[in-house]
Amino acid sequence: MSSQLDVASPETVTAVDRPWITLVWNDPINLMSYVTFVFMEYFKYDRAKAELLMLDVHEKGRAVVSNGTREEMERDVAAMHGYGLWATLMKDD
Amino acid sequence: MGGFSKTITGRVVLRVDEVEKGLLVSLADQVCEFVSPEPRESADPLAAIVGIDMEAEFPDDPAMARLFPDAYPDDPEAALDFRRFTQRSLQENKLAHARTVLQTLSKSGEKITLGAGDVPSWLGFLNDARLAIGTRIEITEENHEELADLPEDDPRHGMFHVYDWLTYLQESLVQLLLPQK
Repeated sequence: MSSQLDVASPETVTAVDRPWITLVWNDPINLMSYVTFVFMEYFKYDRAKAELLMLDVHEKGRAVVSNGTREEMERDVAAMHGYGLWATLMKDD
Repeated sequence: MGGFSKTITGRVVLRVDEVEKGLLVSLADQVCEFVSPEPRESADPLAAIVGIDMEAEFPDDPAMARLFPDAYPDDPEAALDFRRFTQRSLQENKLAHARTVLQTLSKSGEKITLGAGDVPSWLGFLNDARLAIGTRIEITEENHEELADLPEDDPRHGMFHVYDWLTYLQESLVQLLLPQK
């Protein structure tokens, strides 16, 4: 996948090796309890952290739920789409 | 009508009447049809096996676009690439969920017992069905009452009530799965 090759190219390798983030966005359909459940099940976050992130999504409209390499974030975003959450990734710069 | 419950030994059970069961079968059939990947005559067989679909495009249908959103909102090219490498497998997973639900239903009466392996499929199916219907009726966080009060001859009337029931079912299932505080 071309997007993964980009990550390996020298000019995009940064001192911080985890410059990409996964965002989950608020939507009117996903249940608050379900979003909490997904964060616990997929990211293995404890309930307190999962609920805080869920409330951020609900109240602020979005939350950063993970960070890492571009490849890792593409995997997280695809997993979130599998669960039906509205997720995107971007470079944190 | 009740939602999902747990037996003493921890099995997940849903009791439905004949009408509700028929509705679940019909919904699972519709989800199967909705998420099924389009056959591609020109597809590279090896690419198809690993779930790559080079003909995938941004969906015209709002419900499809909600189920398979753009991963890169500000980069259409990267978003399309991502879609071509992920959407087909996501569609196949969702299809497998709905098919598992149909299987559970076909071997159950009015008491539906979910095997441990069936639970993620039921949860996924309920969410996919709600996403599809909720997008169709253009639900927002503010218009629930407005949709609930629609006259019976409005096509969204029935859809809203189905949506509302699925919400109730999904909430009851999630509550069983969340660890007790």
